Amino acid sequence: MHTYRAFPRCANAVAVAAAAAAFSLCASLPAVAANFTVSGQISFHNDVVMVDFRLAEAATNVRLWTDSWQGGLNFDPAAALWLAAGNDFSLLAEVDDDDTVAAGQGSFDTGFVLPTLAAGNYRVTLVAAFNAANGTLLSQGFSYGSETPILLTEWNQPSYDPNANDQKGGFWRLNLNGVDSVTVVPEPASALLLALGLMGLIGLTRTAGRHTAQPR
Amino acid sequence: MGRPIKPPPRPAGTSRRGFFLKSGGAALAVAAAPLAVMAQRQDVGLPVFQHGVASGDPLSDRVILWTRVTTGQRSAVTVTCLIATDPGLTQVVQQGRVKTNPDRDFTVKLDAGRLQPGTTYYYRFSALGQQSPVGRTRTLRVGATARARLAVVSCSNHAFGLFNAYRRIAERADIDAVVHLGDYLYEYGPNVFGSLRTPEPPNEMVTLSDYRLRHAQYKRDADSIEMHRQHPLIAIWDDHETTNDSWRDGAENHTPGPLPPDGEGEGTWAERVNVGLQAYYEWMPVRIPDVSRRRENQRKFRFGDLLELVMLEERLQARSQQLTATVPTPFGNGFVQTGAFADASRQLLGTTQEVWLADTLRTTPARWKFLGQGVMFAQLKLQGAPLAQGGGVFLNTDQWDGYQPARNRVYDIFKGTSTQPAVNNCVVLTGDIHSSWASDLSQDPNNPNVATGGYNPATGEGSRAVEFVGTSVTSPGVSDPNGSNAALLRSINPHFKYIELNQRGYMLMDVTPQRVVGEWWYVDTVQSISNVQTFGVAFEVQIGTNRLQPSAQTTPPANPPALAP
Repeated sequence: MHTYRAFPRCANAVAVAAAAAAFSLCASLPAVAANFTVSGQISFHNDVVMVDFRLAEAATNVRLWTDSWQGGLNFDPAAALWLAAGNDFSLLAEVDDDDTVAAGQGSFDTGFVLPTLAAGNYRVTLVAAFNAANGTLLSQGFSYGSETPILLTEWNQPSYDPNANDQKGGFWRLNLNGVDSVTVVPEPASALLLALGLMGLIGLTRTAGRHTAQPR
Repeated sequence: MGRPIKPPPRPAGTSRRGFFLKSGGAALAVAAAPLAVMAQRQDVGLPVFQHGVASGDPLSDRVILWTRVTTGQRSAVTVTCLIATDPGLTQVVQQGRVKTNPDRDFTVKLDAGRLQPGTTYYYRFSALGQQSPVGRTRTLRVGATARARLAVVSCSNHAFGLFNAYRRIAERADIDAVVHLGDYLYEYGPNVFGSLRTPEPPNEMVTLSDYRLRHAQYKRDADSIEMHRQHPLIAIWDDHETTNDSWRDGAENHTPGPLPPDGEGEGTWAERVNVGLQAYYEWMPVRIPDVSRRRENQRKFRFGDLLELVMLEERLQARSQQLTATVPTPFGNGFVQTGAFADASRQLLGTTQEVWLADTLRTTPARWKFLGQGVMFAQLKLQGAPLAQGGGVFLNTDQWDGYQPARNRVYDIFKGTSTQPAVNNCVVLTGDIHSSWASDLSQDPNNPNVATGGYNPATGEGSRAVEFVGTSVTSPGVSDPNGSNAALLRSINPHFKYIELNQRGYMLMDVTPQRVVGEWWYVDTVQSISNVQTFGVAFEVQIGTNRLQPSAQTTPPANPPALAP
């Protein structure tokens, strides 16, 4: 399993958990190209949202886009598209601003229109601009990755409007059209927390079981 | 399809995020490594930076940097900014990216932080494959400060003349900042107030589009570009940034009612102020104090231990409506300080700003206190009389004379109260009236008995502060070729030490711990391009005196920081 050493923080666990909770898709169509919308909340300036999708067969006109900037209500997102490569992902494209992908986008939203896309497993990362990828492999992390996290509410994103003091919100939403399945990826840190939580639950259950097994 | 970018090289060394400050509005990046190249479409043939560059609102650690991107598209544009300590931009201290979009009229504003005090910086923007001209700016000093020099301007009417005064200021390397006291631009349509140049758009500015286009026209002026490029600006608005004789709930030059085609009006006042200020904040290198209260534009700037420059807002947040002058005089209608004019509830600054001003003046450790503001503070009478005899007949209801109780509250700050000490060494800087005035400030200037609160014009005794009124950059004054009008006004108003009604230009304030000298500099014409400027006159106030005396032209500091190339 690959690691994302730039982002081992609990904050991301919160973000991913929120994203998973908001995940809304046509789950009944796992192997047929369909349209999905996932959304969530990040808290810090260097949080990274990761969303995986799969194409069982080569596809045309795949579109991926955000519409969550909302005129500066939320952070200015940048997106990168990665292709699974062994235990890592390789960068296909990174786009900061593109509001031409679909209706409802704002000028600082981002997205891709992919006329053709080969079958495979892909990952989309969403970050707050200009938290750019450090290299061609996802394992290389992002440029803000080593920094102390700053709450978005206390951060002046480089693209913010000083006349409006905007882009303080952490809501994100990613739309995926023409893909087969979508999964919001928990990061290692959050997966570990989840595992620890499960272990804790198991422990409690066992303790409770022992208690109930004791004679009154 | 989107605009894919190449994966950036992995940064080496200092974090790219170093420029993001958590507070204070800074949004410029420090980048030790090359920035990621975000591919953007290039607009072939369009001069991207045709509105120049500007800086403003300098503090000791930050300054607003501004530009505007001209693009033929509606897409967002990423703009790179580089800051260095040398004109050749080889000693780079910060580099980063910001963005703009149609919502901001493609203006670019960033609050560049983490700068060193008392330092001259040079900067340049890049976008869409083009580079801006190099700008020059300067942060404020901290601690012991021996000298500060400010150019002071007002009333720059593009339609009425050429900004030769701006060009003369741009050529000076010996000033720390330019102070603009309002009427930076005018709202009128063609041939209403000036016909040398045709306003854009060719109508009175009323809508957001109108205000933006007018700002854009002013920013394309070559002389304006040069002044902004060389010096940081510290600006306040007066009335014409919205419309003539504005006050909190309206203006002389505003007709409420539905806009065409639904009606013949100019919309609601609130909406007009809203769009006017939106364009103002977009197009001016001004730091907005509170985005939720955009009318409250008062700010302060501390030049070390030498000077506190307080910039006042006197139009939109609290000003009561101007009253009508109804007392006939040989010079037209005047007014006396009775009836509504004596109503203490009428506001010019408003309670919030008065409290802020009092607190600032009473607590600042700076030696001098400058009040940068829009309308004449001194009394200006058509018939003189001591207060005990009614005070005489006043001329202009739009200036502080029309708000005497409010002015008295400012005098209370100067004089002190039973619980507060007096505040000395206050200097009022004023624009608005397209002419040059130097004045001692007294509440009862026609009363020669100092013991009863009067004023001695021979010695200046009784004066509580002084005022320097700068002439306009272009807007017309009163024709007074032989100075007879000025002489008459001085005979009625003994507190004025200098009145000049004819000439256009700017003021130069030279501040040292011992004295403040105000120099008036005049251009020979605003009708054509000219390099001619002449020194007019100088007055000064010595520390602790609160009164004016004649002075002489000051010597510029040796070896000022080089102008931007």
